[in-house]
Amino acid sequence: MCGIIGYVGDEAAAPIVYQGLENLEYRGYDSAGIALVNGARATGGSRATGGSRTTGDVAPDVAADGGLTVAKRSGEVSNLTVPDAPDATCGIGHTRWSTHGPPTDANAHPHVDCAESIAVVHNGIIENHETLKAELGDHEFTSQTDTEVVPHLLETELSETAGEDAPDLRTAVERVVDRLEGSYAVCAIHADENRIVAARDGSPLVVGHGEDAAFLASDVTAFLEHTREVTYLEDGDVVDLSADGDVEVFAPSDDAAESLPRRPVDRSVETVEWEADAAEKAGYEHYMRKEIHEQPTALRQTLSGRVDVDRARVDLDVSLPEAFLERVEEVQIVACGTSYYAGRYAARLIESFADVRTTVEIASEYEFGAGRDPDRTLTIAVTQSGETADTLGAIRRADSAGARTLAVTNTLGSSVTRAVDDAVFIRAGPEIGVAATKTFASQVTTLALLAVALGRERGTLSAARARSVLEDLRGLPGAVQQALDAEADVVTAAERYCDEDAFFFLGRDLGVPVALEGALKLKEIAYDHAEGFPAGELKHGPLALVTDRTPVLAVLTEGGAPAETMTNVTEAQTRGADAIGCVSADREFGTLDVAFEVPDVGLLEPLVANVYFQLFAYHVANEKGRAIDKPRNLAKSVTVE
Amino acid sequence: MTDDSVTAVVLAAGEGRRLEPLTNRRPKPMLPVATRPILEYVIEAIREAGIDRIVLVVGYRQERIRNHFGDGDDWDVDVEYVEQANQLGTGHALLQAEPAVGDRFVVLNGDRIVDADLVRRVREATVGGDTPVMAVTDVDHPREYGVVTLDGADRVTGIAEKPEAPVSTSRINAGVYGFTAAVFDAIRETSPTGELALTDTLDRIADEDPITAIGYRGQWLDVSYLWDLLRVNASLVGTDGGANAGIDADSSPEIADDVVVGDDVRLGANAVVGGGSALGENATVGPNAVVEGSVVFPDAVIEAGAVVRDAVVAGNARVGANATIAGGRATVVVDDEVHPDVRLGGVVGDNATVGGGATLVPGTVLGDVSRVDPGAVVSGTIEPDAVVRRG
Repeated sequence: MCGIIGYVGDEAAAPIVYQGLENLEYRGYDSAGIALVNGARATGGSRATGGSRTTGDVAPDVAADGGLTVAKRSGEVSNLTVPDAPDATCGIGHTRWSTHGPPTDANAHPHVDCAESIAVVHNGIIENHETLKAELGDHEFTSQTDTEVVPHLLETELSETAGEDAPDLRTAVERVVDRLEGSYAVCAIHADENRIVAARDGSPLVVGHGEDAAFLASDVTAFLEHTREVTYLEDGDVVDLSADGDVEVFAPSDDAAESLPRRPVDRSVETVEWEADAAEKAGYEHYMRKEIHEQPTALRQTLSGRVDVDRARVDLDVSLPEAFLERVEEVQIVACGTSYYAGRYAARLIESFADVRTTVEIASEYEFGAGRDPDRTLTIAVTQSGETADTLGAIRRADSAGARTLAVTNTLGSSVTRAVDDAVFIRAGPEIGVAATKTFASQVTTLALLAVALGRERGTLSAARARSVLEDLRGLPGAVQQALDAEADVVTAAERYCDEDAFFFLGRDLGVPVALEGALKLKEIAYDHAEGFPAGELKHGPLALVTDRTPVLAVLTEGGAPAETMTNVTEAQTRGADAIGCVSADREFGTLDVAFEVPDVGLLEPLVANVYFQLFAYHVANEKGRAIDKPRNLAKSVTVE
Repeated sequence: MTDDSVTAVVLAAGEGRRLEPLTNRRPKPMLPVATRPILEYVIEAIREAGIDRIVLVVGYRQERIRNHFGDGDDWDVDVEYVEQANQLGTGHALLQAEPAVGDRFVVLNGDRIVDADLVRRVREATVGGDTPVMAVTDVDHPREYGVVTLDGADRVTGIAEKPEAPVSTSRINAGVYGFTAAVFDAIRETSPTGELALTDTLDRIADEDPITAIGYRGQWLDVSYLWDLLRVNASLVGTDGGANAGIDADSSPEIADDVVVGDDVRLGANAVVGGGSALGENATVGPNAVVEGSVVFPDAVIEAGAVVRDAVVAGNARVGANATIAGGRATVVVDDEVHPDVRLGGVVGDNATVGGGATLVPGTVLGDVSRVDPGAVVSGTIEPDAVVRRG
């Protein structure tokens, strides 16, 4: 997983590309780099190359020659020295999360060809790079990346047929990408032209339409300050951005007789509703804390216009045929990480409301499974980004098995929305912090709405029960706000416990996924040893780990069998552990060392408890001075399998 | 045109203790009138006055402000934040903004609603001259504010903050200023730690140097006390009103013209929302309930048949079925000060619950997360987290 940005237009490219990299840094922060077409604002090869330019920085930061300026370096984007090139109006950039080759200066993108006149950035994995590299025997390679074959292949294409029939950059890119196996989004520039040619297959790439300018990026947040008019590319597309911002898209042709494998197509221009500043920090120290605090707003958006309490109905604008809903025998949920826990929460609700067997599987482990009738199966992919490779793989397996598929995602136009029969959006707004917070709340809420909708459609959920659940859902934003208002108490607890050896999270029923999610947050950002357990399992082994240096955090709310869970908490306390509990407003457990109050929202109370766990993880990590928005070794949405 | 040279500093770090319990969970500038925070009106006035760079001095419960305004893009302004970690007075608050402003800037209070025209005039006077500029206006109760004495029409000679003795003028400091960077040294000279009100510094300056007064007769809305919120809300829903697009109406609710309703509000059958009311986002008014002259915050629930008049129902609070807040005038005590004959049916604090059939005597203030048992009759001020039993 990496982030790509490209700009061509009439303004200086370097600051725009750099800003784009900062916006994309959540996608990877091992290394970063920029390549610019040295600028006399000429196009179409009419300008002589040469006049090598350096950024004033020392090698290996700079590999400027001919008409390109390349600056790249291992480490975060802020380590990168931006080339001072006010005349350069075309550039590409890359922020890397390593897959092939460690994060070094040499392995950082962009990569160039032997003549250093072609620069390429790439997100994804080129599986046949060894084979391709073998063909390019006389080319000089300087990195261990799979990507580096691309500029050299382009160089070969462009030099092989010189003269009248010489292919242009687009033709060369088309020929090269058709030889690549694996997944990629690639962007290429050539020293002679203010022009970007890019292609995607399996990795995200979106075009932004500016005024006399065009943008390319892995994610719209890269250029949201500049434009909200976007075109989502599809797998197989090659896109050509010209100096004046014209965008042409070429898609694979069905007609094998055509000389080129692709023909021009019209791809629709869509307007992104996300606010640019929703992806900015608003003065918060970390995106994560900002996003935790955005949860009431995010949840109101998730619910907006979808709930009709009086009629006990939910409108998710998804077309699941009545006949299918009547015959469905199994709902399968596939997801990874935090989305998987959201799926676990939802599975209980779906089974209970819709009276249908519901299974949840880690996407990378998913197989459709024997003994199932695909015609009676609904497979739901839950993914924030809509680009998670493992989840995409799983939903494609479900699709090819013949199951009906549904995506629950935060990202309009993402790959998953094209891989499924229907998509429901969680409307949480952009989430930049690597540790998912508000999207978990919005995912569970959306899935709970789906559970009610399924239950009502199938006639298994009474109107009265549905109304009560829907009222609880409407109460959720206010309840979460109440938890946020108690942040000072969570800070006190975090200060008290941040230096302990390990943390155990306990819950039952709907409290189990929240316990697992709470532990995951602490692992992700505080690097502490944390484990979530079904509370009843404690005595079957993990209790041996409990000491007076291992606080226990428990979900003691409605929907989480609080009295039984408290028994297990007490078992841990007997072994000397301190206990922190999230407790329903109408209950009291006097023996807890710390108690956080959860307002009455029925089966959604564990979701409010989760907000306390988020704050706890955040403040423990903050006490320890961790890089909260960029935890080591992690990236936001993992687009490799 | 927008003026790049002038920045607006908005003081929004204070707590607003006289507005407890509403300010236990949000700073005073974030109290909603006509469903929008007071501070939003201030920011819009600044933008309309041609200033597009705003420095917000935040402190108490600042997350609420940062979440709402972000980087200011929705209001077409650039918002920056500086933090006043401890609330040590408005002079100290302004000092925090020193690194973020240029040579000339205007300063506003985040909790006073003024017209854009006033901000424009203060901006122009600030750009055009070198003396400090202060807006002054006339009010009915000058002794609750900074009473200003003038020499002629436009020179301030003194400010007396909330004077105890009767005063002969109705002219007060309107809380909009224009300064040059020299004011920072003046603040430090008044008090090395800046632990003072800005008006103390101005009073000191006025002894020696001229302060230009800008007279103002336009809209000047200040929420000092709980009942002011109802009054200011009523005056703004009257002018701002009719925004009912977000209603998720069940059937035949009655809504007066001077009502503002936020997104995703749910109104039950035969609910009545009378004039001067505002219903926040995601709020619910149940069947046959009556809401009049009241401010209902986001996520609050007013159940079937309840009567809510001249009241504030705060965030996520619940007024049970057939509960009654009859409304009217009362004597209310705030900070040991007696305020006779104010219009305040009652206040239900954030996350508080009024049980079914309970009654709030006019002037009742329920603390946040307090609970009134069904059928109970309650009066006076109830502490946060308290439970009122039927007795």
